[in-house]
Amino acid sequence: MRRSSIGSIVLATALAAAGAHAFDDAKYPDLKGQWTRISPPGQPAFDPSKPRGRGQEAPLTHEYQAVFEANLADLAAGGEGLWPGFTCRPPGMPPLMTAYQPMEIVVTPGTTYILIDHIHDTHRRIFTDGRDWPTEVEPAYAGYSIGQWIDTDQDGRYDVLEVETRHMKGPRAYDASGLPLHHDNRTVVKERIYLDRSNPDILHDDITVIDNALTRPWTVTKNYRRDPNPRPVWPEYICAENNAHVRIGNEAYFTSADGYLMPAKKDQPPPDLRYFDQAGK
Amino acid sequence: MPARSLSATFALAAALTLAVADARAFDETKFPDLKGQWHRIGAPRWANPKTAPLTEEYRAIFAANLAEQAEGRQGTDPTYTCLSPGMPRIMNAYDPMEIVVTPHTTYILIEHIHDSRRIFTDGRDWSGDIEPTFAGYSIGQWIDEDGDGRYDVLVVETRHMKGPRSYDSTGLPLHRDNRTVVKERIFLAKADRNTLHDEITVIDNALTGPWTITKTYRRGQDPQPIWREAVCGEDNQHVVIGNENYFLSAEGHLMPTRKGQPPPDLRYFKQSPK
Repeated sequence: MRRSSIGSIVLATALAAAGAHAFDDAKYPDLKGQWTRISPPGQPAFDPSKPRGRGQEAPLTHEYQAVFEANLADLAAGGEGLWPGFTCRPPGMPPLMTAYQPMEIVVTPGTTYILIDHIHDTHRRIFTDGRDWPTEVEPAYAGYSIGQWIDTDQDGRYDVLEVETRHMKGPRAYDASGLPLHHDNRTVVKERIYLDRSNPDILHDDITVIDNALTRPWTVTKNYRRDPNPRPVWPEYICAENNAHVRIGNEAYFTSADGYLMPAKKDQPPPDLRYFDQAGK
Repeated sequence: MPARSLSATFALAAALTLAVADARAFDETKFPDLKGQWHRIGAPRWANPKTAPLTEEYRAIFAANLAEQAEGRQGTDPTYTCLSPGMPRIMNAYDPMEIVVTPHTTYILIEHIHDSRRIFTDGRDWSGDIEPTFAGYSIGQWIDEDGDGRYDVLVVETRHMKGPRSYDSTGLPLHRDNRTVVKERIFLAKADRNTLHDEITVIDNALTGPWTITKTYRRGQDPQPIWREAVCGEDNQHVVIGNENYFLSAEGHLMPTRKGQPPPDLRYFKQSPK
């Protein structure tokens, strides 16, 4: 009995020491490594299970269906439509989670970081320190994310990260087809991020978008596969490097391989050069 | 006998504790506490350019750059079009910096143009093909210098940068061959745990010898600091067409950046400009 008590004290002391000083990795799912989106080849769609563009069957309001159609017409004419990425503005939430480039997830007790080196070297912070929504938040493309780890099967280990993201700014679109989010930027994104039960090298993100351009919440599931390489290559993506898109005022142009300004659309007028002393060559 | 048994129980428990800690837990107490938001102290300048030990060739390049900047051009400062500052300029910490320490990687997160870094501390070496990047490839090692059982210095070496890069917006240049090697010692001040130092030694063929400076950062005291998003591509008024840099006016028209600058060549347009 006495020996048992001593043993208990020793064990309790050991656990207390671990609790006080160590981050217990074992309580969290192992999300280490490099995650790559699972989606059909080509330009990815927001809902990877459906074709891009109209095929997404997004529950847009009539007003935003018309906005989307005008965007498609602009794209067909050579314009940039509503996708802000052409001029190196980040996709923001929720398209950030399309993971246009490989994704790393760094779990710490107070914050989970989503690192994706795409247009912006995104380091999305999901605060898991129990904070409430701050009274004032400066809007950001990535928004402000608060998360909570959940032990859904009560086995003593967390298995789902539930996240809510608010305070986005725009312009944002779901994907390069220009499928729009509402201009009011009052989007709320709810996510459930979890490993596949039968294959821990597959990660799921159930994403529900609540947005005033939609007639109802829109839920899609994104899937990612873990690279088995323990030391994966993390490519650097610098959008401004060799970007041939140029925006002057409200007009989009290209630069040619030989360094001249080019129209992006048929019969597009050249830019206004009123501030130059000389006429164009 | 009971005493030996008790000792054995403690020894077993201690061994189990260490084994559990090693296998399952990241023992944060072995590492310095670098949490929080770090702000650079002083202006985002690398150093007084007059102290730079540039070679004659690069002294001339720097002087030409200053003359270009004086007439409205950008000289050899490449970041105005949202190119990454790269290493070592990243460590100017133009915006607040977060350092996330994990057993195998230390992350430097800076929300500026494109300024984040991974420092690998998993014991890897330089073997294999490494694609050059602006931030370079960084391998680090935690050192327990005073032998107290806790790490106190992160020693880092960074290679495989690409360019163009300069030390800061003065255009103070690094060599075009991009064979720069950057060595760092990152550590908390002994007298003030809210002050962080980064001793940075640059070895570069534009220099006559290694150049060491120390960057210093102060930790903000807000436990939930604000991390502002900085998006260079948003509202950037610089437009580059060919080799010429222009500005955008507030109403969205193209403007010259220097006196007498010709307008862009519009040979691919059918209509004449207004």
